[in-house]
Amino acid sequence: MTLPKFELHRPESLDEALDILASSPGAVPIAGGTALIVDMRGRRLSPPVLVDIGLIDRLSGVRIEGGEVVIGAATTIAEIKESDLIAQHSPLLSEACGLFASPSVRNRATIGGNIAYASPAADTAPPLLALDASVELASASGRRTVPIDRFFLGVRRTERRDDELITAIRFPIPAEGTEGRFRKLGLRRADAISVVSAAVSIGPPADGGRRVRIALGAVAPTPIRARRAEEALSAGPIDEGAILAAAEAAASEASPVSDLRGSDWYRREAIRALVRRLLRPVVEGRSDG
Amino acid sequence: MDERTIRLKINGREREVSLPPNVTLLRVLRDLGYVDVKNGCEKGDCGACAVLLDGKLVNSCLVLAWQADGREILTASGLGSIEHPHPIQEAFADTGAVQCGYCTPGMIMATKALLDVNPDPSEEEIREAISGNLCRCTGYAQIVEAVAEAARRIAGGGDSG
Amino acid sequence: MIGKVEVKPLPKVDLPPLRQVGRPLRRVDALGKAVGSTVYAADFSMPNMLHAKVLRSPVPSGRIVGLNVDRARSIPGVACVLTARDLPGAKLSTDMPGQTGRKERAGSAAPVLARDVVRFQGEPIALVAAEMEEIAEEAIGAIELEMEETPGVFDPEEALKPGAPKVYGDDNVVARWKIRKGDVEKGMAEADLIVENTFRMPFVEHAYLEPEAGVAWVDDQGVINIRVCTQVVEHFRSVAKALGIPQNKVRIRGTMVGGGFGGKEDVTVEIFLALLARETGRPVKLVYTREESFVAQSKRHPFVITHRTGVKRDGRITAAKIDMIADSGAYPYLTPYVLLYATAMATGPYRIENVSVDSVAAATNQPFTSAFRGFGGPQAALAYEQQMDEIAKAVGLDPLTVRRANYLRRGDETATGQRIASEVWLEETVTRAIAGLGEPTPSSKTRKVGRGFASYFQSYGRITWFHDTSRAWVGLELDGTATIRCGVPDIGAGQANSLCQIASELLGVPLERVTVYATDSAVTPLAGTSTATRQLYMSGHAVHKAASAVRKNLLDRAAVHFGVGPDAVDLADGRAFVKGDESRSIGLDELASPCAADGIPLSTLALFTAPFTDGIDPETGQGDIWPDFTFGAQAVEVAVDIETGQVEVLKSVACHDVGRAINPAAVRGQIIGGSHQGLGYALMEEYIVKDGITQTPSLAEYLVPTSCDFPATEAIILESGSGVGPFGAKGIGEPALTPAAPAVANAVADAIGIRIHEVPITPERVLAAMKRGARWRG
Repeated sequence: MTLPKFELHRPESLDEALDILASSPGAVPIAGGTALIVDMRGRRLSPPVLVDIGLIDRLSGVRIEGGEVVIGAATTIAEIKESDLIAQHSPLLSEACGLFASPSVRNRATIGGNIAYASPAADTAPPLLALDASVELASASGRRTVPIDRFFLGVRRTERRDDELITAIRFPIPAEGTEGRFRKLGLRRADAISVVSAAVSIGPPADGGRRVRIALGAVAPTPIRARRAEEALSAGPIDEGAILAAAEAAASEASPVSDLRGSDWYRREAIRALVRRLLRPVVEGRSDG
Repeated sequence: MDERTIRLKINGREREVSLPPNVTLLRVLRDLGYVDVKNGCEKGDCGACAVLLDGKLVNSCLVLAWQADGREILTASGLGSIEHPHPIQEAFADTGAVQCGYCTPGMIMATKALLDVNPDPSEEEIREAISGNLCRCTGYAQIVEAVAEAARRIAGGGDSG
Repeated sequence: MIGKVEVKPLPKVDLPPLRQVGRPLRRVDALGKAVGSTVYAADFSMPNMLHAKVLRSPVPSGRIVGLNVDRARSIPGVACVLTARDLPGAKLSTDMPGQTGRKERAGSAAPVLARDVVRFQGEPIALVAAEMEEIAEEAIGAIELEMEETPGVFDPEEALKPGAPKVYGDDNVVARWKIRKGDVEKGMAEADLIVENTFRMPFVEHAYLEPEAGVAWVDDQGVINIRVCTQVVEHFRSVAKALGIPQNKVRIRGTMVGGGFGGKEDVTVEIFLALLARETGRPVKLVYTREESFVAQSKRHPFVITHRTGVKRDGRITAAKIDMIADSGAYPYLTPYVLLYATAMATGPYRIENVSVDSVAAATNQPFTSAFRGFGGPQAALAYEQQMDEIAKAVGLDPLTVRRANYLRRGDETATGQRIASEVWLEETVTRAIAGLGEPTPSSKTRKVGRGFASYFQSYGRITWFHDTSRAWVGLELDGTATIRCGVPDIGAGQANSLCQIASELLGVPLERVTVYATDSAVTPLAGTSTATRQLYMSGHAVHKAASAVRKNLLDRAAVHFGVGPDAVDLADGRAFVKGDESRSIGLDELASPCAADGIPLSTLALFTAPFTDGIDPETGQGDIWPDFTFGAQAVEVAVDIETGQVEVLKSVACHDVGRAINPAAVRGQIIGGSHQGLGYALMEEYIVKDGITQTPSLAEYLVPTSCDFPATEAIILESGSGVGPFGAKGIGEPALTPAAPAVANAVADAIGIRIHEVPITPERVLAAMKRGARWRG
């Protein structure tokens, strides 16, 4: 089966890429292509122009910049999985990248692509939501940064305009003592699309309560923060009662669909189980647990 | 849709080919005669078309040929031959890891990618490294054994590739 | 949880010592595949070759009200567009392939291309051949197809109800079988307890890694050559018939097959290729996409099986009443025979005096179903082995005790009255499988560990009233190398290699000096299908017979050379020698010259015939059906996550009596690989069809196990030497799959205390069952 026809640009600079995006209606950026090529082959998408961002050096790599971890949009999932900086500051993102598709796909797929694609089941999304990440967008007419919890608008719909390119994902270096974990449930043990995924990030106790983030994937039209579940944990002590309340809240905040991979009922059950499991070890390591 | 001439270094040999942008690396490799690169699904689900692109394991069905311009590609037939098989290929043949053989070239490239960075992998690491390469015949056990055996042979005798 | 079992020593078996057979030698096909030099069906090209595509129905039930191919034909680069109107009455005879002259069963033929009526999503409607794949795709898109959807039927039980839409014929009954043995009413009356359960199995996709492919061309003799991946080169006859040309004008050149499992047993691309090559006079290639492979070819039959079993308190079964309903999909293909297998094996490997089995297969507007490794046996086993555990539970005995009270023994009769002549190592295999699990893994609060096992019997070799035959030619070349010519298709299990090992053994030619030419309908003697776990049995014997004849000539000539009797000479390592005095030896190359000079044949064509029997009694099902059976067992330990419903297989041990392992590494490969497919069947695989439309169109939705899903099944190979195959071999290809899924189902039930009556046992089904169970208990 062949791919539909398209024009392919391979700019070597960001400005050049942005100019093409600005001047070519319907142009779509391509990086690893692991999702886009599949959809084009299946004729679900047929963009007239593709802009390959793979030759733009400064779009890939992980670095620290002013108290933030910055991941270039074209950084592959494999690179993030292997990154010491990521392992040090956001092990939950390392975990998620380790469970992402298969090794060969991880060598091509990029974090920018995973976010841009906006699948509700995107594996990097829950960790990024839990890390308070933001998405850096650039266009010929300017730049802006969108918090990731406002970036996803619906199934495969995002805040990104057609003329914009995701250039980086950034998040503040979590405070000392922050613990984060990621889990996903798939229908097999490798190379599986998440039926449900969840990430938690829990900061150390502080005045006015601790920072708690609970994010879920594949349970709503977009990856979501479970804010009521977070609230259940942020004020008081994190004990078994609070964990159960948080798990219950998370399940009620989800609006899952029933599809091939699971019913809405099952997904809510799975959320409860995942959230409990993610929280218990986080608590066990604490004096106030 | 303009054609463009790209240069690929395939199994050590420079090839120039002129093609439009909507051609995948899988297609161009097979059209050039590298039919050891198998087409199993054309969407990255099976790993039969796996090759090394600049040393990294990729599904060639999910790479546009233009994206491989100027880069090095290694396929199973470039790793060894009947006369001079690579230790990985010998190990696959010797351990019963080959049944129908259709997944084998991709499996062998996944093995090569693993052993290049991890010459002494655990069983779990082996299973993870080949997890994107489906095999319907073997149940993977003899493949896992073959990878471990290949690691031993390479450690013992040096990697010919 | 199954307790400890005592493993008794095996009965003493006297296996003759062999040199080449019985060794885990490197298969002759392995290295070529590993270095990527094996040329599969899609890898082959011809000069001036066209590329073909097939237009398929988007709807599962409908009428073609408009089909205009003018625009498609006018596209530059399109060589040919064919529709049913271009092939009047062309039907694909899908009666038993490789037939030996039996009459075609009525209604078993499917149209090559749909003309007016479409009966399943994916049914072929038009063919295109063009200069490039892109052009062929464009032409397919340019065909104007207008369809009117008609009410379909998507469930076999619905299909059998009065007033259901008719897929074809007067009713939707594709086949019925029955078994009547003893007096079931009397047996039920004698029972202390009656246990009844219904079990369900879904469509399953073969998912071989190699999609169907081939290249066809017309040669200078006007013969249509088709180079194709197939399990059945004898389909040249069906192709010739559909084209209305003589059978000797179609030649199938089989390739190494990238997995078959029964899915390449029916005709695939070869018929389309033949039509297009004939029409255009040019070579044509057709390669299915994965998605096309899914909708175009058969699936494993969904079954609903109800067991009603009368049982005594001590576990003895007094009567079994079994009902089976299978989904045949839109065309019969091999359904009647799959249903027969399931019917005749419905009681499992148990001695039951009073049996009544009624089975029916119904036509629906679903994917058609046909052969899949086990051919109805795995569905039967999923039901009978789960039922055995439920019986055990009902009478309060452990599952092994109940089975032991009923196991078949050598000399017993099956439900169809077939006496079992070979060893029946049910006790031997089940105890070893269970013991192989070792110490139990402890459960935790959220992770419940359970164990289950399954015994089984499964036929090998074809139905004996098909009068099956195979042929092979074996010759010694003048340089002492050996050549085999045999029409066997190698579908990956090492079919060709086994023949080489047998010839190597008998001729004393080292394996690496044996070459096999296989799977060509014109030049290799016809060997029948690579199906039904029959090739080692059938073609193994044919090679054995041919090689034995050559061997005799060599021994006779060598005896003259040494001045001893023929019994005093043996062949090994490329030499003939005097037994007990190997210093007196002569190379086979040196021996070949005087043989040739004396006109002693160094080659033979041999025919092997399986036992020929008459058909079974249609009213009672009584009669012989197969040459023999393989017996074995599998045990597994699973952990069920009671919060997520996920089932993890912790340990898996399979023990089979293979009679004699020709190549133990290949046997182990069959056992582990077959088990893996069975574990997938139990826990993961389901080809989902909703109102006739496939919901799992690719390998992203239809999940097969990866390397991370299951542990390696430990393979325990027993050799009773009692099989009807060469050297006492039984068959293992299909049997390897059969016990895995019921063992898992029983282990899950053991872990959570609740029976889930359908596979796959998905996390959601586990949680839902536990929720229901909690309600009942609460």
